[in-house]
Amino acid sequence: MVKIEDLRAEAQRLLKGGTVKYIIGYERPAGSWKANPVFLKNPEETDRLVWDPTCYHNLVRFLIDEKRRKAKSKEPDPRPVGVVVKGCDSRAVVVLLQEKFISRLDVYLIGVSCEASGVIDERKLERKLAGKKVRGVAFGPAGSFTVTTDDGTVEVPAAEVLADRCRDCIANVPVVSDHLLGDKTKRTVAKPFQAAEKVEAMAPDARWSFWEEQLGKCIRCYACRSACPMCYCDECVADSICYAVTPDTTAEEKAQKIKWVERSPVDSENFFYHFVRAIHLAGRCIDCGECERACPVGIPLRLLNKKLEKDAKELFGYDVGLDADQPALISCFRDDDPGDFIR
Amino acid sequence: MDKILAKKDFPQWLKKLRAYRLFAPRLIEEVWNYEVVDDPDHYVLPDVQTVVPVKKVVFPARECFFEFEETDGTTLTLTERRPDAPATVVFGVRPCEGKALTLTDSVFGGTFDDPYYGERRKATAIVGLACNTPPSSDCFCLSVGGAPHSTEGLDILLTDLGETYYAQALTETGKKLINEGGALFSEPKAEDRKTVERLRPESERRLTRRLENIKNVPAKLKGMFDAPLWDEESLSCLRCGICTYLCPTCHCFDMNDEVESTVPLRGKKVRTWDTCQFPDFTMHSSGHNPRPDKAARLRQRINHKFQYFVEIWKDYQCTGCGRCIALCPVGIDIIKVVEKVRDYGS
Amino acid sequence: MAEEFEPRIVAFLCKWCSSAGSDLAGVSRMEYPANVTPIQVMCSGSVSPLYIFSSFNRGADGVLVSGCHPGDCHYIKGNYYARRKLALTKNLLAYMGFEPARFQISWVSAAEGQKYTQIIKDFVRELKPLGPQTKLRRNGSW
Repeated sequence: MVKIEDLRAEAQRLLKGGTVKYIIGYERPAGSWKANPVFLKNPEETDRLVWDPTCYHNLVRFLIDEKRRKAKSKEPDPRPVGVVVKGCDSRAVVVLLQEKFISRLDVYLIGVSCEASGVIDERKLERKLAGKKVRGVAFGPAGSFTVTTDDGTVEVPAAEVLADRCRDCIANVPVVSDHLLGDKTKRTVAKPFQAAEKVEAMAPDARWSFWEEQLGKCIRCYACRSACPMCYCDECVADSICYAVTPDTTAEEKAQKIKWVERSPVDSENFFYHFVRAIHLAGRCIDCGECERACPVGIPLRLLNKKLEKDAKELFGYDVGLDADQPALISCFRDDDPGDFIR
Repeated sequence: MDKILAKKDFPQWLKKLRAYRLFAPRLIEEVWNYEVVDDPDHYVLPDVQTVVPVKKVVFPARECFFEFEETDGTTLTLTERRPDAPATVVFGVRPCEGKALTLTDSVFGGTFDDPYYGERRKATAIVGLACNTPPSSDCFCLSVGGAPHSTEGLDILLTDLGETYYAQALTETGKKLINEGGALFSEPKAEDRKTVERLRPESERRLTRRLENIKNVPAKLKGMFDAPLWDEESLSCLRCGICTYLCPTCHCFDMNDEVESTVPLRGKKVRTWDTCQFPDFTMHSSGHNPRPDKAARLRQRINHKFQYFVEIWKDYQCTGCGRCIALCPVGIDIIKVVEKVRDYGS
Repeated sequence: MAEEFEPRIVAFLCKWCSSAGSDLAGVSRMEYPANVTPIQVMCSGSVSPLYIFSSFNRGADGVLVSGCHPGDCHYIKGNYYARRKLALTKNLLAYMGFEPARFQISWVSAAEGQKYTQIIKDFVRELKPLGPQTKLRRNGSW
């Protein structure tokens, strides 16, 4: 079990010693049963840190903000940023290291193990409790969750409210960390790609109708892109050209500024946006599930990204987010990569 | 004009209104949204808050203003495309959304008349449902000049009395819709009126969240442009835009030319939703961006809602629906931010 | 009498092999259907999935990407990267329910004018029964 005192002690040690600039962790504000990201600079404030099943956010996402902040600063602070990372989050760090978006010295990783279960899906819990006001959720015995409501506490079996991605989790223990808390027992998952297999099993017409219906809900709020730690491009291909064209803009740069997709939330453009995002995440998406959690209209985005993770493993033997030294999926090849689809 | 409608007769009323395009909240894969009612026989009006507010009916996420086409090699023809605005009725609208419509009405029909919004708005009747209990744990309409039983922006207000709805017609359109229900509507009894009178203050007491003493906030914000508060509060913001996309009062938009063909030139001028929370919302063609960071954009959102809009339209640009609080992926809470503004420096 | 549907194919041909192969077909006066709009790219490895998707978005009925045979890439490795990238693209399109037959990839060398014509003939023949591509095509009207 992760002891919260240990997490807070480590955070305090880092902040007191000036080892890190600040720590990105989880806190639960007064009156709220759900954790939120917190940015701590003051060693006196480490008691705000929590670790419970509502810590589903991927805090690695904030390393993008940190990088931008450093880039704008005249004298950037060279110290690392402390980040509390779950197993899935640590895989995101690995991908960012692979791509040299950050260097290993930019982060101090406080790893927390999800042990027997994982994190909850807050919508599932709210639906299960049907109107009862939740006061708090804690890791319970034997992989269950202890839910406190106004009526008392109740043990909820993990399977009922576990976040879907935790069911397919291949890294319940962080794969990279500077300080690791919690049980280091790795869980095995029988079918890591079952999410994609369900869709693959549909007939093509049914598959098309399914995606037409799901992506038809999209309002192009781009919350999925904003929530993703791997969507760090300053200018996304899905946006209209934003960067200025000045007398210094080269012809080559101008040629790159193509409007690929319209902003209108119509079927053809929604498909384009989601297809492009999925393919740009091939070999990079580690299924933290933040895109799907952020989506306000309930599009099952994990099902889309999971297909690329599955192909990476099954076609190319490529494990996403486990080895920071391996090249990007599409920057390497094997002599026996499948080619029978090529005429 | 006040009437009573038995709940079991609600589907019949919908059927009598089949000449209209009917919108009502429907649950599609665990998400409530206003959708076209295609099966009135089995429709039951739910007591919920939709994810996307009613603004989508009068201010759609995408609309075409005009088409342009190059004919005869040099002549450019513009063809205006006025909205396809069939007579529409939206049911189950919460009073906060009705009030929000009055705010967007000011923006789109105040000093300048936007005919695209205007034609849709004129063609749309709003049947509200009073909130006997708050539909969201984050509701705070009372704190921003609203109420769970407010009639602002509505044509009819329905109040749930258990087995029946108490229907108040607030406009000529409302009266017309009730009259089209004919014998389905009956006269209210004295005890019905008593129940409504009892429910009003009860519904106000049931609101759990408050944003109190904010009268000085508009003036206070004027001196807070450079306050470090904005940096602190926006640290965890993902600039995902959900708060503004799903806000019933937010109405920023983008204009784009959707070019279908370059030779001959042919395309459409299209308006889509946009949000001040996107990094490139204020990107100038010179490359300068006056709101380059999240702090500036959070400051913009709070100022627009609690200072600028107040100065121009004398009302907060927030009706307390709580969607931004409930759906923010990182739990940024507008009530807490405005409280910090209110208490800043003390 | 209704006009027979003529599929429009966009073909991304690598300059050094496939485009040259298509030129050989031309100068050899080999006949093949005129349904193709060829776009020359420097290497099949430079073909981004965006090009493929954009072609379908703008109304192409079929898209072909053709490059050098493995081992013969002018840039040594480009076509190996293409093999991976385009496998992922093809699978994702099929996963979304799009007809996989509409997106084809081939290896055509500069000497294979005959092969190129055969690829096009086969492609047109396979596309005709599928009809115009409407799934990913940008709609002109709302």
